[in-house]
Amino acid sequence: MTRTYNTIKYLFLLAWSIFVVFPFLWALSTSFKDANAVTSGARYLPWVEFEPSLQGWQSLFASGSRGINIITPFFNSATVTLLASVISLVLGTLAAYGLSRYKFKLGFIKNADITFFFISQRIMPPIVLAIPFFLMLKEIRALDTIAGLVIVYIALLLPIAVWVMIDFFASIPKELDEMAMIDGCTPIGAFFRVVLPNSLAGLVVAGMFCLIFGWNDFFFAFTLTFTETQLLPVAIVSLNSSVTPWWSLSAFALISVTPLALVAIVVERFMSRGSLAGAFR
Amino acid sequence: MAEIVLKGLGHSYLSDPKSDADYALKPVDLVWADGKTYALLGPSGCGKTTMLNIISGLLTPSDGQLFFDGKDMTHAGTAKRNIAQVFQFPVIYTTKTVRQNLAFPLECRNWDRSKIKDRVAHIADLLDLDDILNEPARSLSADQKQLISLGRGLVRDDVSAVLLDEPLTVIDPQMKFGLRRRLREINRATGITMILVTHDQSEAMSFADEVVVMKDGRVQQAGPPEQLFARPQNEFVGYFIGSPPLNLFSAEQRNADLHCPSLDISVEVPADARDRSTKFGVRPEHIKMSKDLADNSPHATVQAVENLGIERVFTLRTSVDETLKVKSRHHKTVSPGDKVGLFVDDKDLLIFSDGTLVCH
Ligand SMILES: Nc1ncnc2c1ncn2[C@@H]1O[C@H](COP(=O)(O)OP(=O)(O)O)[C@@H](O)[C@H]1O
Ligand SMILES: [Mg+2]
Repeated sequence: MTRTYNTIKYLFLLAWSIFVVFPFLWALSTSFKDANAVTSGARYLPWVEFEPSLQGWQSLFASGSRGINIITPFFNSATVTLLASVISLVLGTLAAYGLSRYKFKLGFIKNADITFFFISQRIMPPIVLAIPFFLMLKEIRALDTIAGLVIVYIALLLPIAVWVMIDFFASIPKELDEMAMIDGCTPIGAFFRVVLPNSLAGLVVAGMFCLIFGWNDFFFAFTLTFTETQLLPVAIVSLNSSVTPWWSLSAFALISVTPLALVAIVVERFMSRGSLAGAFR
Repeated sequence: MAEIVLKGLGHSYLSDPKSDADYALKPVDLVWADGKTYALLGPSGCGKTTMLNIISGLLTPSDGQLFFDGKDMTHAGTAKRNIAQVFQFPVIYTTKTVRQNLAFPLECRNWDRSKIKDRVAHIADLLDLDDILNEPARSLSADQKQLISLGRGLVRDDVSAVLLDEPLTVIDPQMKFGLRRRLREINRATGITMILVTHDQSEAMSFADEVVVMKDGRVQQAGPPEQLFARPQNEFVGYFIGSPPLNLFSAEQRNADLHCPSLDISVEVPADARDRSTKFGVRPEHIKMSKDLADNSPHATVQAVENLGIERVFTLRTSVDETLKVKSRHHKTVSPGDKVGLFVDDKDLLIFSDGTLVCH
């Protein structure tokens, strides 16, 4: 019985792993192909079925007309994403804590309405926001700058941070803060000294979401920048020509997914050590 | 250490309370004297936690004022009140060790390192936590966690009062007894006021100098255990204090006499009971049984006998079909079906008129 169960379990896991890993392998092999190898049918084994070429990779670190250079866009993307994520996380965590522990009331607007306001920012289609953002950034002369993008990304990431953290704080019994206050903390002290250390798991999850959404955004990076400040997802678009350069796109995909994958692996290690398992009682 | 005075203090969780029923704690005047042990007793949902949270500052009362040693503390912050409180369920700081948990209240108040060390060692010794001081607090069992909560409450020796909100529910009965005794010892040694919330009346009676009985957000009676036992102010207190609870008997008014058919006793009708619904109350401990019946003496039939070890509780049915309980150390041979005579001393007879005790 358990044996059959285990067999089925592992078969399923195997199928799932293939499903997940295959696109990466595909991208990896494609990134070393040239135009011939890509277009002339399915080929898998380098050296045997096709001659590996570094053309795809080289085109990403080239100068002049032979391709693009993604080093600057890479660091632009990293800067914007990290800054926006950290700021969103800080502001979002504070906002979420306030919303989860105190009752706010402004006329008919109560906690639930404020929370919904945050979340509604993500329900709106991005296109609705593009023109207002463009005009506002233009007004403060922040179009095509890192700072301008950071501001816009904070607006995009803050709802995510608030959303995740409200849920998380709701799972921390309010007796924990109350106890800290009885023990002599101020309300702010209770948050920083007791609640926050207990919220690491939530912060990691919220942080991951912020990084992922920030890093992968194309739309705003595309509409709010021109030439000075290019982010990674925009840079790659300029590679496109009449012949789709699958090899370059594959190499690019691998490069752009690597930072997130690394963060995920580190976090996963950290989590499995149990230091994040939030057992409160 | 402080005398805590509640002046018209009440609380409603609703923003605009309309009637009495909207109050979780109905406005009350009450004094918690400095240095005494108190028990706050009442059924669940009667407002005990609400009262404690107002005293400790977790809740701002909607009505009335709160004074510590004459100083108005109604709106003071928790830190300023310097109250220790232990909740019903253990609250521990999971990211800290046991030692860090115990030291936290002192660190928050910027105590000297060496003084912190001494106090933590003292409390750990008191609660038998020495062996686990360096362990992470989250790995402990529920009752160990509650000991830590208790330890954090007791670690400050300068608190205004220690509020214990049913802290012993998660702790096993044997340890409970010892802890209650140790709490009393601490109170005797330090003179710190202690308020223990409980719905277990024997816990209340054995712990407290004074017991405060609450029901539906209203304080019913406050006084020493003996007083609550001997002269419960109303039927509820009589029923809630004592085990088994107070026996209630119907009463008939005959001209100037108030007659109890079950016990065949008559007393003069007290002035404030005239023409109202009245009842007699007698403690199960105050009814004496005898096996030899005089012809016309009140009697009852034994229906059940419950052996509590030293004492027995007899369930009886009287000649007018009222049930009562008698608690006694004697009558080992009385068994169900037997007929016994009943005797009650006049002074042990309580008279309730419309549910409230009247003097006679
Ligand atoms: N935060 C709250 N919001 C609204 N009602 C509450 C809240 N806390 C308690 N109550 C209500 O107030 C009453 C008294 O509760 P509580 O003081 O916790 O009683 P106890 O501690 O005696 O069991 C109960 O009817 C309860 O439902
Ligand atoms: Mg309670």
